[in-house]
Amino acid sequence: MSFHRCAPALSLAPLILFAFALPVVTSAAHAQTADAADAAGDVPVSLQFAAEIGGEPFACGRSYTGIGRTEGAVAVTDFRLFVSEVVLIDANGQRVPIALDDDGRWQDGQVALLDFENGRDRCDNGTEPVNAQVLGRAPVRDYAGAEFVIGVPFDSNHGDPTLAGSPLNLTSMFWNWRGGYRFLKIDTVPVGRMAQQHGGGHGEAMAHGAAPAGAWMLHLGSTGCTSASRTSAPPGPCAQPNRVRVAFDDFDAATDLLVIDPAALLADSDLGSNVPDTSPGCMSFPGDADCASVLPRAGLAYGDQPGGEQQLVTVRSDAR
Amino acid sequence: MMKRFVLPVTLLANLAGPQAMAQGSQGAQGIEVADPVDGFTWPLPAWLPPPAVPEDNPMSAAKVTLGRHLFFDARLSADGSTACSTCHDPALAFNDGRPFSDGVGGARGHRNAQGLANVGYSPRLTWASPVLGSLEAHALVPLFGDAPVEMGNVGQEQALFGRLRADARYRDLFGAAFAERDGEVSLFTLTRALAAFQRTLVSADSPYDRYKYGGDADALSASARRGEELFFSEKAECYHCHQGFNFTDTFATARSGFAESAFHNTGLYDVDGRGSYPAIDQGLYQVSAEPRDRGRFRTPSLRNLAWSAPYFHDGSAATLDEVLDHYAAGGRLVADGPDAGDGSRNPLKNPLVLGIRFTGTERADLLAFLDSLNDPWFVANPAFSDPWPATHPAALARRSALDDAALGHDARPDRIAGLPWLLAGCLFLLSLVALLRARAALPPVSPEPLARDRP
Repeated sequence: MSFHRCAPALSLAPLILFAFALPVVTSAAHAQTADAADAAGDVPVSLQFAAEIGGEPFACGRSYTGIGRTEGAVAVTDFRLFVSEVVLIDANGQRVPIALDDDGRWQDGQVALLDFENGRDRCDNGTEPVNAQVLGRAPVRDYAGAEFVIGVPFDSNHGDPTLAGSPLNLTSMFWNWRGGYRFLKIDTVPVGRMAQQHGGGHGEAMAHGAAPAGAWMLHLGSTGCTSASRTSAPPGPCAQPNRVRVAFDDFDAATDLLVIDPAALLADSDLGSNVPDTSPGCMSFPGDADCASVLPRAGLAYGDQPGGEQQLVTVRSDAR
Repeated sequence: MMKRFVLPVTLLANLAGPQAMAQGSQGAQGIEVADPVDGFTWPLPAWLPPPAVPEDNPMSAAKVTLGRHLFFDARLSADGSTACSTCHDPALAFNDGRPFSDGVGGARGHRNAQGLANVGYSPRLTWASPVLGSLEAHALVPLFGDAPVEMGNVGQEQALFGRLRADARYRDLFGAAFAERDGEVSLFTLTRALAAFQRTLVSADSPYDRYKYGGDADALSASARRGEELFFSEKAECYHCHQGFNFTDTFATARSGFAESAFHNTGLYDVDGRGSYPAIDQGLYQVSAEPRDRGRFRTPSLRNLAWSAPYFHDGSAATLDEVLDHYAAGGRLVADGPDAGDGSRNPLKNPLVLGIRFTGTERADLLAFLDSLNDPWFVANPAFSDPWPATHPAALARRSALDDAALGHDARPDRIAGLPWLLAGCLFLLSLVALLRARAALPPVSPEPLARDRP
């Protein structure tokens, strides 16, 4: 965003400079239709994200080794997530909501889709456009940190995605009415070998041999939602909302990058195997041993384990 | 529908329309939404967004009328035998009820014709093309394709235009639909009108729609409601690919920010132990030449299955029971013959095709749910019917999906052939007429289940 480019590379750019810096800006990195403060005095703000796998940049055609306890290499076939409840934290610790833009595509004013897959190579069931930023407006003020949620707010989470507006009408991020959307979807497949012959499926259905466990998928979404049917919205909150709250006290939107990397969550996972009779990988469902070491590292309680510090997102300073 | 013909350029899908927002100038995913003209209104329930519409082909009532005449006109084929409706018959929810469709002169196809219900919501067309993104472009495939031959006009477009210009009725229809082009008969107008008509083929009035979107809690049986639970469960895993309003993960509406499409290998075959399907049709691989794309096909909608048997891209499952057998086993075992192999072990299979342990009740419930997706109003909709008198040259020599003799070979599934079926069909149509008449005066009627009428 323009004023960020002009701001001194200090840990925090006083946004008040924006109004003075604007006239000399010519190389806005992120096209904004309104570069000035609006009637309410709010100015554009952006959070920039990057996707990585084990510290390496995410790319659809790439193989990754050394992920958790995985022996072989994996490719990642999808990398998308929803972000909402984005706030900036000012010097006094006050949390100031960012009013997200509504562009009819990536953001609907409440939820933003981060989409790092480009529909190519092994991601070819995805979509071509990519989006690595969240755009909105906030009051001019000194800010010290930022906070957001990986997830879709309850009120938006349980409708029919094909009837919703974008980005909540992507069938690929849809789970079901009762459970809502997939908040995070990172899918992996083994590379360079035939898929293993164990741990593939749902039991005796593999009457003529175990099906290969061809994929290990990390899907976060709400579970324990109670409703009249699987395609009815639950009237009350879900028992395990599984929304990941990410907060950084020391974050400068002008200079810092938010890096999303699932490797820390998968430190104890073997992406080449799956516990029989459970979903392939960890899809947030209760009672799946594949999730036991994963969700607590996303900051989410799972079974009788409390949630720890989230390790999914880190700040890389001065990386923009 | 088309087979293996791939156009070098997608005619329309690469143009970003006004709905492609400022950040996203990535053309191929753009959703175009042209406003209708001449008072056209979408025949849609309020809850359903309209299909996307290309900028250069806004909907108009006159264009839809022209497209309907063209769709049922066998003079669109080189020998006057084959209309679009020959393989996409409204009485069969725009399917043809046979494993493969045949082109003019007995040319053999090798793919199962797909139904056209809600085809306007499909941003990718045919069974396995990653590039064919508009109905306008698609129309060229059956008209001019030669591998396989369908309507047989390759190199003969002027003769085709001549046949249409010679009919006085078309002078009026083209004139009304394309006044700005002086009613010209051309590839442009022909393909635009056919596409406009097909975009009106919306099926959204099944018992399930009345239950889910219409608020009619009684529109589904208890069995169908249990089947819905199973369908949307992690036990059956059906809904991962069969998603949303049209029960497919290839979908876009005028409201979409993205055109989604997906192709899956479901383990129907594994002829070499390395993932191959029978060489006659390897799906997406035939376009991409990417070995891992062997056996990947676009997810078909699950609407109106009562009329779309046989199932799968090659019509290799005669009944829904066989389809469920396939998914229950997590893939199909072909015991012998040239296609022998265990599809459940296909290394390229979608990992969510895991196998399902059905009880007998669960299987019946799932079938009852699928039955609730059948839309008899769609099949009986007079707006989609043949506009030509039977004696008109457009219809005189036209082959029909229900006309066994015209096709000569490729015996249709037993449940469709024969007098009993025809009698049942007549009774069914009569009952539909009665229902349609009663509908205006009565609260929404839950139509009788249809799929299970055809054992």
